Amino acid sequence: MGPLIDAIPLPYTDAVVVLGAAVLGLTCGVLGAFAVLRGRSLVGDAVAHAALPGVCVAFLLGGTKDVPLLLVGAGVAGVLGAVVMLAIERNTRIPADSAIGLVLSAFFSLGVVLLTYIAGSGDADQAGLESYLFGQAAGLLESDVAVMAAISAVSLAAVALTVRAMRVVLFDPRFGGSIGLPVRALEITSTVMLVIAVVIGVRMVGAILMVAMLIAPTVTARQLTDRLVPLLALAGVVGAAVGVAGAVGSTAAGLPTGPVIVLLALGIVLAAVLLAPRRGVLWRAGALLHRRRLAACDAALLAWHRDGELPERSVRALARRGWAEPGPAGPRPTAAGRAAIQEVLERRALWSAWLEHGTRLDLDDPREPGPHDLAAVLGPHRVSELRELAATNGAPR
Amino acid sequence: MFMKVRATPALPATTVTAHAPAVDVRGVTVSYRSTPVLWDVDAELPAGRLSAIVGPNGAGKSTLLRAMLGLVPMESGRVRIAGLPLEQARDLLAYVPQREAVDWNFPVTVREVVAMGRYRAAGWFRRLGRTDRTLAAEALERVGMTAFARRQIGELSGGQRQRVFVARALAQQAEVLLMDEPFAGIDARTQAGLLGLFGELCAEGRSVVVVHHDIAAVRASFDHALLLNVRALGCGDAREVLTEEAILRAYGAPPAEDAVAWAR
Repeated sequence: MGPLIDAIPLPYTDAVVVLGAAVLGLTCGVLGAFAVLRGRSLVGDAVAHAALPGVCVAFLLGGTKDVPLLLVGAGVAGVLGAVVMLAIERNTRIPADSAIGLVLSAFFSLGVVLLTYIAGSGDADQAGLESYLFGQAAGLLESDVAVMAAISAVSLAAVALTVRAMRVVLFDPRFGGSIGLPVRALEITSTVMLVIAVVIGVRMVGAILMVAMLIAPTVTARQLTDRLVPLLALAGVVGAAVGVAGAVGSTAAGLPTGPVIVLLALGIVLAAVLLAPRRGVLWRAGALLHRRRLAACDAALLAWHRDGELPERSVRALARRGWAEPGPAGPRPTAAGRAAIQEVLERRALWSAWLEHGTRLDLDDPREPGPHDLAAVLGPHRVSELRELAATNGAPR
Repeated sequence: MFMKVRATPALPATTVTAHAPAVDVRGVTVSYRSTPVLWDVDAELPAGRLSAIVGPNGAGKSTLLRAMLGLVPMESGRVRIAGLPLEQARDLLAYVPQREAVDWNFPVTVREVVAMGRYRAAGWFRRLGRTDRTLAAEALERVGMTAFARRQIGELSGGQRQRVFVARALAQQAEVLLMDEPFAGIDARTQAGLLGLFGELCAEGRSVVVVHHDIAAVRASFDHALLLNVRALGCGDAREVLTEEAILRAYGAPPAEDAVAWAR
């Protein structure tokens, strides 16, 4: 860790925190993706809450606030929580989401009781244990970061080795079974990864908000890519970025680290949901508006052609495009406007012909023609073929 | 039509399969809890032919297909694929599951889905080699979906998704293709295209087994049929097995009348 920490242009303690936050964010981003893609994010929430009593029990047994010891406790309790959830799901009629709720509240209540008991026990060493609730970046030791980095390296290597199998099993488990994949084992692996992500993150982000660190990077990345490996890489980068920014910011401002990291992460999620190319809400709204304008123009031109009269509300839109100009008896089409009318009529006729006779063209590959660019999609040769079919009403010549 | 006829047939069927039936099922019994789903099923589906598994809802059609793949625990019975026990036949089989069991929002492209057909052959850790990528590309071309290679899989229509799944099975280069309801919810044009492709595969010496719900279509275009309702009620030439009388026995009523009775 030494050289890495020296390379960060910050005071030693800050550099340790930054490095720790980067490791945490990267790991939680990548490992959290498997839970989110399986639709099991809330299992992550329950596992994170289950980590709290684990930390308390580890402290009671070990008597020190040694971070690796407490993380072992968190891990054991997390696995226990996951196993209990699975057992409830498989052996009772309780539905999965209720099982998650039961386990989460049971473990977390136990954690809070234990935490209160420890605080009242007068043990001088216990101060600061409550930081596992909301997370704390300050006070992290270089040796703690080294442990986190080692766990992280092992689990990321496991991801790299199993990513192809995971892609199959998460997408289509039955096919996975048919090509000889150990589907159950891979599902268990992905749950173990979830526990590891929680263990690495719980000290800095806290049990209550840990789930956001698992979800937010993947949700952001999913807005930007349709492929698994880029998604994992992006989720890791997003996680590391918000982790570092949140850790530095919260330490400087004296705020709890978890909420600051999570607020930053959710800000990025919001931006991605609104702005992502093709998928973002605003992006789609813009595209819809654009299509509406085009459709309105087409409709106005057709109405003008049919009725000889331009609907009042469309005058400005057509004038702006240079298709209409004021005349003595109301607006009249310019030369460009007459061409535009002609173009709409031809486009409509071609589209009708496609809908009626398109299957007879025997295209050798499927294409997805739209009413607006059918001619471009089909190419001039197919277009003339289609026109001929329409002219003869589909009769063979 | 989206299927192109190939000038040269692909790999000839391996010689082991020449005489053994594609699928040979003997005394297969499968239960969920204590209810038998399949009961003492015997069936022989010939190699190089197009076979259908037909039967009412809950007849165990999908379960039988999964038993052929060794994916459900059997209480008794055995399955042989091209004369070989299942453990040795894994590479001879390709499976197209029902489309409901799949996460269509998963971040995976059409090209990647078809490439999954090569994962087992290529190994789980190495990059796909040139041969594997070529085979996947050819499979995609053969179902006419090359233009969609870069799409996310969920952006396709139902028929297109089915064609991609068939392409994945083609990429596996299997001798025996097992397909669960590939024609459910698919338009007539795509059905005809897929049937044409299955015919080509049989002409290459491969065997195609399809779970099908449309008895008339099976009579019209399948060689062989297995009529199933927990037990095997008939297995042989499609037109000989699927008589009105046999269907009455399997369904309790002709399917059309059944629907009318339901509506009353």
